[in-house]
Amino acid sequence: MIEILNLTKKYGVKKAVDNISFKVEKGEILGFLGPNGAGKTTTMNIITGYLSATEGTVKVDGHDVLEEPNEVKKRIGYLPEQPPLYMDMTVREYLNFIYNLKKVKLDRSKHLHEVASLVKIENVYNRRIGNLSKGYKQRVGLAQALVGNPEVLILDEPTVGLDPQQIIEIRNVIKDLGRDRTVILSSHILPEVSAICERIIIINNGKLVAAGNPEELSRTMGQSNKLQVRITGTKNEAERVLREIPGVRKISKLGEKEPKSYDFIVETLPNTDIRRAMFNAMAKNGMQIIMLKSLDLTLEDIFMKAVNGDLGEGESYLTEENTLSPTDSEVGTSIEAESEDASALENDPDNKEEEGEN
Amino acid sequence: MFAIFKREFKSYFTSLWGYVFLAAFLIIAAYIFIMLNISYAYGGMTPFFQQFITLVMFVLPILTMRLFAEDRKQKTDQLLFTSPVSSIGVAIGKFLSVFAVFLVGVAIMLLYPFSLSFYGDTPVAESMSAFVGFALFCGALLAIGMFMSSLTESQVIAAISTYAIIITTFVIPNFVLSNISNPLLSEIIGSISLLDHFNDFTIGVLNLESLIYYASFIVVFVFLTGITIERRRFS
Repeated sequence: MIEILNLTKKYGVKKAVDNISFKVEKGEILGFLGPNGAGKTTTMNIITGYLSATEGTVKVDGHDVLEEPNEVKKRIGYLPEQPPLYMDMTVREYLNFIYNLKKVKLDRSKHLHEVASLVKIENVYNRRIGNLSKGYKQRVGLAQALVGNPEVLILDEPTVGLDPQQIIEIRNVIKDLGRDRTVILSSHILPEVSAICERIIIINNGKLVAAGNPEELSRTMGQSNKLQVRITGTKNEAERVLREIPGVRKISKLGEKEPKSYDFIVETLPNTDIRRAMFNAMAKNGMQIIMLKSLDLTLEDIFMKAVNGDLGEGESYLTEENTLSPTDSEVGTSIEAESEDASALENDPDNKEEEGEN
Repeated sequence: MFAIFKREFKSYFTSLWGYVFLAAFLIIAAYIFIMLNISYAYGGMTPFFQQFITLVMFVLPILTMRLFAEDRKQKTDQLLFTSPVSSIGVAIGKFLSVFAVFLVGVAIMLLYPFSLSFYGDTPVAESMSAFVGFALFCGALLAIGMFMSSLTESQVIAAISTYAIIITTFVIPNFVLSNISNPLLSEIIGSISLLDHFNDFTIGVLNLESLIYYASFIVVFVFLTGITIERRRFS
């Protein structure tokens, strides 16, 4: 549905978007992730035809945005970062204006009514937009994007500035909309993206740093070959036994989390499952595994890793040395505690661990 | 295009701008009308328009300064330029909307000469000709004002730069021209004098050359506005 090829946008010498290529299939909800200033908005502005690219092409439904701008614009509903509202109009006037502007052919009152009820703005339909609260303004902006039933929706940080309740409501609206439309949604709020999107693209400094669905990303980021294990017995004995298990690459000690037990992070060779071997080895040596879990990356981890990690373009994520180590408040006792990135993330593995214990 | 025209036209009357413009426009018109027509008991509108035109040009930027500058500030330009409307279409729609607001003022103002016709013979044809010239002249100024507005995000800069251009087109021909002896140069400089062509209309001549002069002025600046906003995409 949307095809972006080698897109580059330069502002002077600075490259806001640097050679990005991706595709969005029909009916897909794509999360467009990146820190502030990564080039998300610029990319979206180029797709919608508001800006032009320095190099590269954008095609929507086979139409090039430079050559047939109106064909592309007809198919896209765009909610920019700041909703483009005329404060002196009422919601009714505004939506009618949009209807005329986009030259919509659908039945006017029926269609506008549908749009208004979809984003729940019927109760403010006759009020001036300038007097509405931020949440309602955002919804009117979303309604604007929906007028004309475009096949593609491009939403730039649609939930920014809303209160938690409104965020959930807007998210649900977007999810509903995504059932029969192609949606690109940008955000720097990660739970939002993981809640709504089927596929994620992460950009940083104008470059594409990762793409895939959350599970895929988690896997290719290489963390899932790490296990956290809690073993009863003495520390040195447990470590010695662990080292003898075939397939183990690296062991990090996390210290005593529970009386008379020790926690380790066991890193295995790729595509090796050592859980059974570990169980048997421990049983043979009279030690018990009282907790075992694989450390999957959360979206936060993936994001931080993609953005902070020195992943260059085209590098394989599989070979990347993992720099994320689950550490906790007892980090001082962990002997091989690695990585400078870890401190930023220490809360998350910590929380997961508590869940594991319960 | 029509949607933009309609919205802009309406917005002048839902905000203060339209009323501010009409008030200033009509007060100046009334003052000159009283000074020239009532106090001299003169039925023709030619001297009225000749005087009025030198003052009205300071009122017109009130209408044009917000045209694009406000859109850029409110980010509503993102809406216009991601809609299936061409840049030229946006420019034409906006120009027509200010011109229409201006014509509302003119329509009210026409009550003045109309009221005179009850009290004696008035040179209707001559007055109408002056009126057509006046409308075209102001149209050209509005097109310039719109163009300046498309260049900047600030309404103040848009208004002041419009004044600067308007004053230049008046000052240079009137004061500089008399000091130039080269006929070609004076011809070129003279051609930017918007006011010269207006004088034909005031003596009751609907000169084709002058009509085309003003019309082309409008077309060129509306077109330039379209180019400017189109070009911004590439910056």
